[in-house]
Amino acid sequence: MSSKVLAFINFKGGVGKTASVVNIGATLAKLHGKKVLIVDLDPQANSSLWLMRPDRWREHVAKGRKSTYQIFDDALQGKGKFSFDESVVQGVVTWTGFVDLPKLHLLPSAVELLRIEDKIHELRAPGIYQILESALAPHFKQYDYVLLDCPPNLYSTTKNAVFSADSCVVPYVPDYLSLSGFQVLAEHIGEFRERFGSHLPSRRKPHIGALIVSHYRQTGNVFRLAINELELSMANLQARGAIPENTILLEPYIRHCVRVAESTSEHLPVILYAPGSIGAQDYCDLTQRFLDHFDNKK
Amino acid sequence: MNYQDLATRLTQLSDRLSKHSEKIEGDAVARAAAKLLAQLNSFEEHLDSFLASRKSGELMLETFLRSPAAKKHLSVEILKKGLREILGKRLKSEDLSAAKKEFVELVHAKEKAAQAAKFLKETFAAAAHVEPGGKDKASLQKEFARLGTLADDEYLNEIGERTFGELRRLAAASGIKFTDKTTKERLAVLVRRYSRRAAVNIATAA
Repeated sequence: MSSKVLAFINFKGGVGKTASVVNIGATLAKLHGKKVLIVDLDPQANSSLWLMRPDRWREHVAKGRKSTYQIFDDALQGKGKFSFDESVVQGVVTWTGFVDLPKLHLLPSAVELLRIEDKIHELRAPGIYQILESALAPHFKQYDYVLLDCPPNLYSTTKNAVFSADSCVVPYVPDYLSLSGFQVLAEHIGEFRERFGSHLPSRRKPHIGALIVSHYRQTGNVFRLAINELELSMANLQARGAIPENTILLEPYIRHCVRVAESTSEHLPVILYAPGSIGAQDYCDLTQRFLDHFDNKK
Repeated sequence: MNYQDLATRLTQLSDRLSKHSEKIEGDAVARAAAKLLAQLNSFEEHLDSFLASRKSGELMLETFLRSPAAKKHLSVEILKKGLREILGKRLKSEDLSAAKKEFVELVHAKEKAAQAAKFLKETFAAAAHVEPGGKDKASLQKEFARLGTLADDEYLNEIGERTFGELRRLAAASGIKFTDKTTKERLAVLVRRYSRRAAVNIATAA
């Protein structure tokens, strides 16, 4: 199986990284029959807690053992405690107590990841950005899509995700603060590509493949103008070679939907919790466009 | 619990039951066994139905008909087109819920659920497709940003040379909302304001 590994990154918080990962992942599994792995790299464990009840998550990741934390801790301690098969959670447990979406797998995160960032830097060893790839690449090939949910920063864990990924997806809220942040992000990834790209095959040189707009509202001019400014900025960056020519702004834009927020408390993706909601409809259409874009990409 | 856990549990129960079957006696355990048997019958019915519908494509058809995409894109016209393509038949119902029922009954009767699911998948995919703005939109946006860099008198000169239609196209491509009642003068003010903003925002971002 040829898998596509995509890092969902933005160092700005609250832009819809986790919502995009969880709901695109669930839609790929439910409606397109794709086998999907979500890798939670955020110490806040938001995608883990979206897809798992807190009691089950706490029990599963006790002391960080069956979580992404263990991968980094193993690298720091020179141990091999991490077991992919034991750590990965298959499907989503519904309120019946039984599993649904058997093709959606989750490698959860643990709060212990908070402590790991400084220690990774202290390593000062070559290969500190290859820890994740070394541990997970052998398992990636059993999936059609691997979606990496990154923390809202550009530190070591996120760089590990960028290094592992075929492409980056940037969730975006249409406002000026996001616009300025996107520019910085594009340049940062460009620098990372310059520094480490020679270690990777050309198709995997770190780059931004797509942007996703969340929290969209169709009131007045506000969001349309902000998206126009984003498109202009993308055209500038493409002209300067900072992002590839085929980087696209995926549509439809995800409209603000209270049912999506509510589905986090139900620990279900919106496609299962409220399939008739505008949130589910938007993610459904967006996932189709996502597939059109990434399935056809070499 | 997942279904593999359930299978393991049932296998373990089966082994124990088999091992002790000749020693089990009494009303309490018999009543519990009768309840379990009724539940097993019901479970087997559901499981058989699920497996059969999965094999025939009925499950996928049902999934698509109940999907968020159906809620957004499905219409009587789509169902009519689908039935014509799949069975060469005409759908009679004009109401969406009746049409869905008729569509499902007819494709099931002819065992064409898999084709119907494929038709809906492709139709929803096409409906989700958004035409890119293309070069026209991109060049209008570029022009919009350029106008934002002009001094006031230069801007007024340039706008004065444009037709109202050109200004409307420029505004529409750049996300400015206006109505049929919006005058050329008002639109020129809006384009001025937002093009300056875009020029500043993009320049500072860059």
